[in-house]
Amino acid sequence: MSRRERARPARGGYRPARIPVATAAAPPALAKTAWRQAEARVTLHRDAGAGHRWLELAMPRAFPLPGAGQFVQLLLEAPAPVLLPRPMSVALVRRAAAGPVLGFLYAPVGDGTRALAALDVDDRVLVLGPLGRGFPLEVEGVPVLIAGGRGVAPLLFAAETLERQGRRCEFLFGARDAAHLVALAETRRRLDRMGGRLHLATDDGSRGVHGTVLELLDRIAPHLPAPRVIHACGPHPMLAAIARWGLRHSVPTFLAMESIMACGTGVCRGCPLPRSESERRRLSRARAPLPSLYGNPEFAMCCTDGPVFAAHALDWERLG
Amino acid sequence: MSRTPDLAVRIGPLRLKNPVLTASGTFGYGDEYAHVLDPKRLGAVITKTVTLKPRAGNPPARIAETAGGMLTSIGLENVGLERFRREKLPKLRALSATVVASLGGETPRELARLLEALGGEPGIGGFEINFSCPNVARGGAIYWAHARRLERTLAMLRPLTRAALIAKLSPDVTAIAELARGCEQGGADAVTAVNTFVGMAVDIGGGRSRLGRATGGLSGPAIKPLALARCHEVVRAVSIPVLGSGGIMNGRDALEFIAVGATAVQVGTASFIRPRAAAQVVEEMARLLAERGIRRIEAWRGCLEPAASPAPAAGRRA
Repeated sequence: MSRRERARPARGGYRPARIPVATAAAPPALAKTAWRQAEARVTLHRDAGAGHRWLELAMPRAFPLPGAGQFVQLLLEAPAPVLLPRPMSVALVRRAAAGPVLGFLYAPVGDGTRALAALDVDDRVLVLGPLGRGFPLEVEGVPVLIAGGRGVAPLLFAAETLERQGRRCEFLFGARDAAHLVALAETRRRLDRMGGRLHLATDDGSRGVHGTVLELLDRIAPHLPAPRVIHACGPHPMLAAIARWGLRHSVPTFLAMESIMACGTGVCRGCPLPRSESERRRLSRARAPLPSLYGNPEFAMCCTDGPVFAAHALDWERLG
Repeated sequence: MSRTPDLAVRIGPLRLKNPVLTASGTFGYGDEYAHVLDPKRLGAVITKTVTLKPRAGNPPARIAETAGGMLTSIGLENVGLERFRREKLPKLRALSATVVASLGGETPRELARLLEALGGEPGIGGFEINFSCPNVARGGAIYWAHARRLERTLAMLRPLTRAALIAKLSPDVTAIAELARGCEQGGADAVTAVNTFVGMAVDIGGGRSRLGRATGGLSGPAIKPLALARCHEVVRAVSIPVLGSGGIMNGRDALEFIAVGATAVQVGTASFIRPRAAAQVVEEMARLLAERGIRRIEAWRGCLEPAASPAPAAGRRA
């Protein structure tokens, strides 16, 4: 650690940074409800195309409702082929009399997600959540939501939350080709219902604009009135490019990150993401309250400081 | 008949209502899990290791899951002594649970400075000295793997506190029994056996370690038989209490460690998977003992010996 911290008397304990909302520096919203671990029942599990699965879980009535961008940890009951739970971004929250239903879009690519893919309707899963800080949807501006591949899932959830605030979004969705525009039909249906505008891009030009979502953003942005706000989810190189775009154009930009995790609650310190130089400097000042449980200017924890981060908060050179 | 068995145990000056502690680094500072598990229900909460200066920890990746276990390379990320005392200690006191602070240092002098600062603080029932971190360049398991160094260090620390002094040992040593004896001679009240095992995992796609550093510490069910054997070895070498640790996921696992002579156990990785794991271990342990008609945990402790153990009973407790 480069700077020595000065001892100061504790003042009312531990608080997150207070920065005015609706500036580029606004931190993602704090998780307001405490997480818990509860048993859930699989109510729907089907193919979602492009190698993805759609999973719905019925939660106990008391389970706190996650916000868009928050995640849960899914744990299979023993005997399971993996030890640790798997973090998964929430794609849908539907209120029902018996308790909320949570939806997830995922790709069975590793041992854990492949084991999840074998779940049948009425099987049980342990769910730990809601975890992390979601998209700060209170930040003002025309919402520009940018999805890469399965990053579409939490952003559809965000679009629905925005719609309840009476805000329509511009929804940019990109993938390498038409086949990898995961759950495109459902995306279109849900966006049509809420009056959001869908813009597509594929790297090979097989659907929508020929190019990346960044090129799509460059085309659309000049036609949108200021202020604008960007929320994005997708592969890290894409997020790094969008973060740089947001910083360059002074548009508040928030990115949903991923990491390998163990606990998901900030305790194990296993999911560090490098903070930006300016953020490290700010947090190293003795008076700055450190933002996570243990606090550390060098690394943010994806699980509790994120998974949604403001563009200025992370070191994209080390991430992208 | 199944009465709730008496689970109370003693670690030096510290009386614990039950023999289940949370392993350092797996339960934060006690308050992070408090809304799902009242720490008062546990024997004690051992904190994340505190060092003199704040530490940023190791670069990503810090976690790699392997068969039946996980590799971690956290690198003792922590807020450092000053912030611990200012921000964490008041919260720990507010838990009104038994708290053991884990201390880490690169030299005996650093540990002494930590204990000078914290040794008399109210609200800390004991100190576990982390002589065994596998993931730091200096002051880790290799540096401390010398019986004489441990003995001299503990002799230096002993006068600095009246609270329990516990030495946590690495399993990656030639003769853990010798290290444990060094700790006992230096004045430790108890020994913890063991910290994580050094392990590796390679990403064959990228041709590199799955961790940011080459190696990490392996924990979880995969290491339980290994840890149990080390614990057994240590129990036979010393007459002070031994805290068993390594892959304990449930009450059954805990009773195995106590059967080989551990006075208490630590639950670690299990808490990452089920935050209430440590409390569940207490409940299961009580139920299993009651089913066997055992009324006191002390009656179960060391029940394996001497029949299964060919070694001389040097230092065995009565």
